[in-house]
Amino acid sequence: MDNLADTLIEELNCETVFTIPIFGGIPVSEAVVVTWIIMGVLVLASIILTRNLKVRNISKRQAVAETIVTKLTGIVEGMVGEEGKSYVGYLTTVLVFIGFSNIIGLFGFKSPTKDMRVTIALALMSIILVEAAGIYHKGIKGWLHKFIEPIAIVAPINILEVVTKPLSLCMRLFGNVIGAFVIMELIKTIMPVGLPVVFSLYFDLFDGLLQAYVFVFLTSLYLGEAME
Amino acid sequence: MLQLEFWNIALTVINLLILFVLMRIFLFKPVQKIIAKRQEEADKQFNEVKEKQNEADVLKSKYEEALSETETEKKKVLQEARKSADEEYQRIVKSARKEAEKIKIDAEADANSQKAQILKNAEKEIADMVIDATAKVVASEKATSNSAIYDRFLNKAGDE
Repeated sequence: MDNLADTLIEELNCETVFTIPIFGGIPVSEAVVVTWIIMGVLVLASIILTRNLKVRNISKRQAVAETIVTKLTGIVEGMVGEEGKSYVGYLTTVLVFIGFSNIIGLFGFKSPTKDMRVTIALALMSIILVEAAGIYHKGIKGWLHKFIEPIAIVAPINILEVVTKPLSLCMRLFGNVIGAFVIMELIKTIMPVGLPVVFSLYFDLFDGLLQAYVFVFLTSLYLGEAME
Repeated sequence: MLQLEFWNIALTVINLLILFVLMRIFLFKPVQKIIAKRQEEADKQFNEVKEKQNEADVLKSKYEEALSETETEKKKVLQEARKSADEEYQRIVKSARKEAEKIKIDAEADANSQKAQILKNAEKEIADMVIDATAKVVASEKATSNSAIYDRFLNKAGDE
């Protein structure tokens, strides 16, 4: 049992891999390194997929690229609607990134989303995007007025929401990934053969992709709310 | 797991922004561009086809108009031809009738004159014959009586 606890803690801790010796040393965690790997894979895959695109007589590769892009942007467009079209690119990127991060555990890497600093960063970006979109579409006055809607007395709650929205986004993602990970580790100790495969399908693949979808869905929901 | 410090959050934010830009450059932009291009081409072709269709429609109506025009023209020409043919026919019949009339009259006149000629000839011949017979009777029978001369004359004239 001690052994299990040790490995769990080892897995859960995101160690600093190295330190960049500027500004008094920037620590680079495993999560950031894995993020780089994901970025590299995604960009490489994009470049390979979108090599010499043609209008007619398209290759299978191009068909795959087009299907991926149209499906993903279609999903996100369905969520943010016509008004938030300019945010589709970012939200799709986040969808792909979180999706990859959540299932990269299957390939032996530590999921970056298992590190709360990554989910905090994601949630921060989301709330900044949401509020910026609110200011951009409504003007500062309209944006401020949103806080006293529908009546002035709910203003504290509305202000609190600016914090609770990203907090819930961050914690939901982090909690799901870490929970799935811990359960998978426990199942692996109970029965190392066979059984983990079935659960892995749910916890690693399905839940991972679902959480990516939920994160983007909620962000676009907040976006729509801020823009209307 | 739960370490919170500024740098890694900042690094992740930067990573995300970079990833966003790279994905935009390498995946979304080119694919969307090519799709838009294809759409444009399809639209263009569609418009071209529509234009051609319109042109064909115009041509078709023009041809139909021309066709109906020729039809009326044909009818007109036919009618005219029929009319002129009728006139011609009438004229020919009329002239033929006239001709026939003339021929008939001529023939009648001819026949009459011939008849008159024949009669005249016959009369002359009869007169000649009478003179001849008279001369013969007078020459051969000087001695016979007047009644015998008459009888003879009558016989001879009957023989002739």
